[in-house]
Amino acid sequence: MTDNGYEPKIVAFLCNWCTFTAADLAGTSRIKYQPNIRIIKVMCSSRVDPVFILKALLDGADGVLIGGCAPGDCHYSKGNFYARRKVALAKTLAQNMGLDTDRIRLSWIPASEGPKFAGVVNEFTEKIKKIGANPAGQEVFI
Amino acid sequence: METFINSRMTISEFIAAIFDKRETAGVAAMAKLPSGNKAAYTLFTDKKSAENSIPFFPAMPVNAAKAVSKFTRQASPSKEVAMFLRPCELRALTELVKIKQAGLDNLLLISFDCGGVFPFKEISISDEEKLKSYVDAFKNGKNCEGIRPVCAACTKFVPKENQADIVISLIGRKPHDPLVMSFPTEKGKNTAKALGIDLPDKTHTSPVAPSTAVESLFKEREEKEKKLKEKIKTGFADTGGLVSMFDRCISCHACSYVCPICYCKNCYFDSQTFEYFSESYFIRMGEKGALRLPVDRTLFHVGRLSHMGLSCVACGMCEDACPVNIPVSQIFKTIGSEAQAVFDYIPGKDLNEALPLLTYSESELETFED
Repeated sequence: MTDNGYEPKIVAFLCNWCTFTAADLAGTSRIKYQPNIRIIKVMCSSRVDPVFILKALLDGADGVLIGGCAPGDCHYSKGNFYARRKVALAKTLAQNMGLDTDRIRLSWIPASEGPKFAGVVNEFTEKIKKIGANPAGQEVFI
Repeated sequence: METFINSRMTISEFIAAIFDKRETAGVAAMAKLPSGNKAAYTLFTDKKSAENSIPFFPAMPVNAAKAVSKFTRQASPSKEVAMFLRPCELRALTELVKIKQAGLDNLLLISFDCGGVFPFKEISISDEEKLKSYVDAFKNGKNCEGIRPVCAACTKFVPKENQADIVISLIGRKPHDPLVMSFPTEKGKNTAKALGIDLPDKTHTSPVAPSTAVESLFKEREEKEKKLKEKIKTGFADTGGLVSMFDRCISCHACSYVCPICYCKNCYFDSQTFEYFSESYFIRMGEKGALRLPVDRTLFHVGRLSHMGLSCVACGMCEDACPVNIPVSQIFKTIGSEAQAVFDYIPGKDLNEALPLLTYSESELETFED
């Protein structure tokens, strides 16, 4: 917990085959990481419609993490390449519509890398804590 | 670059000739309505009633690509139909063909330089003064006062090669003079032959020089486009800006109904996904202490942009339909083009170019990772 007690809420869309499995591994390996993420499991990172990311931000999520298999290692062979394009679209729209793109992160985390998963979550949480609360969360008329 | 030649036919003679000599089953173009003041996009199957057509009338009650989509979605017509489309309508049609919402078989696509259209509510056939200043501005390669803001800032007003079978050059000319045309496709060339128009390969036909008016109109609009984009971007400076840009929205969703690219019969934003138990409103409200109802109003626009922004041709239909005067098409043009630039994609440019979200390359967009 930081000095001001601000605890961000981060929505994490994790692919079933790699990043979610990595999260599972981090848990079974008893690796501690920041408890700020709310995980939503998707079968593939390409399932994440840019709308999901933008809706999370508009509804006040302080950060959105999208986790998928490393390029070339996708369970469906090319899903993560499509995911990257979708995240690029969401980030571009966010950037041009007054939302902070630093709140969106796309990471490739293989199934065997529990420590990497914990590292990404910690790093991202720290970053969001520095940026502060999402102003959309305080907008009544959004 | 296709060469333009003088067809020695006026627009009405040209339409009559399509019926007589090309044996076309129909012609679709703007036409006078019986009430006398407004015009509508209309399909004619006989020469006599086609005399009511006014293909260059500067109004767009429907984006013709949407009309073509409805006309061809189930099956293409069994006989040839000639359709007049403005360049943005043609680009929208290309996008619709890509998503299998329209077919091009048996269509003879005719396009022309576009001077823009007036907001539909603001133009009547009896409005002679306005129409005269439109024709004058067009002749001189200038923007006419009062056209849609996105039209005044549109630099893609000349139909690109191979988008249409027949291209009519209008800028710098008078619409009632004999038409100056080019025939980029095989189908177009065959039509020229059938109509008895000599193509430039014949020695006695000399091509018509391109008009300098095109250049001056392009410059004026490029400047306008820059200013329009700057204005919109300033509006979206921060989250508060985003909220105020759409705060007048009454959630009628008319913008999506008139949009040629929004083809979904059941819009995602009208679906059950966005219906919640009342309890969840309290959760969503958090510590705000108040919440505007119904919810997801801003999301509709941001989400719609993510669904169709990459294919947005900036035709301006959405803004025309908006009952509360949100500059919808200026917003979609500005932000859509930013998104298109990321994927180096120009909607409507090439039928064979894949939609950005349906293709990828293995090494690209690395700046968007981690």
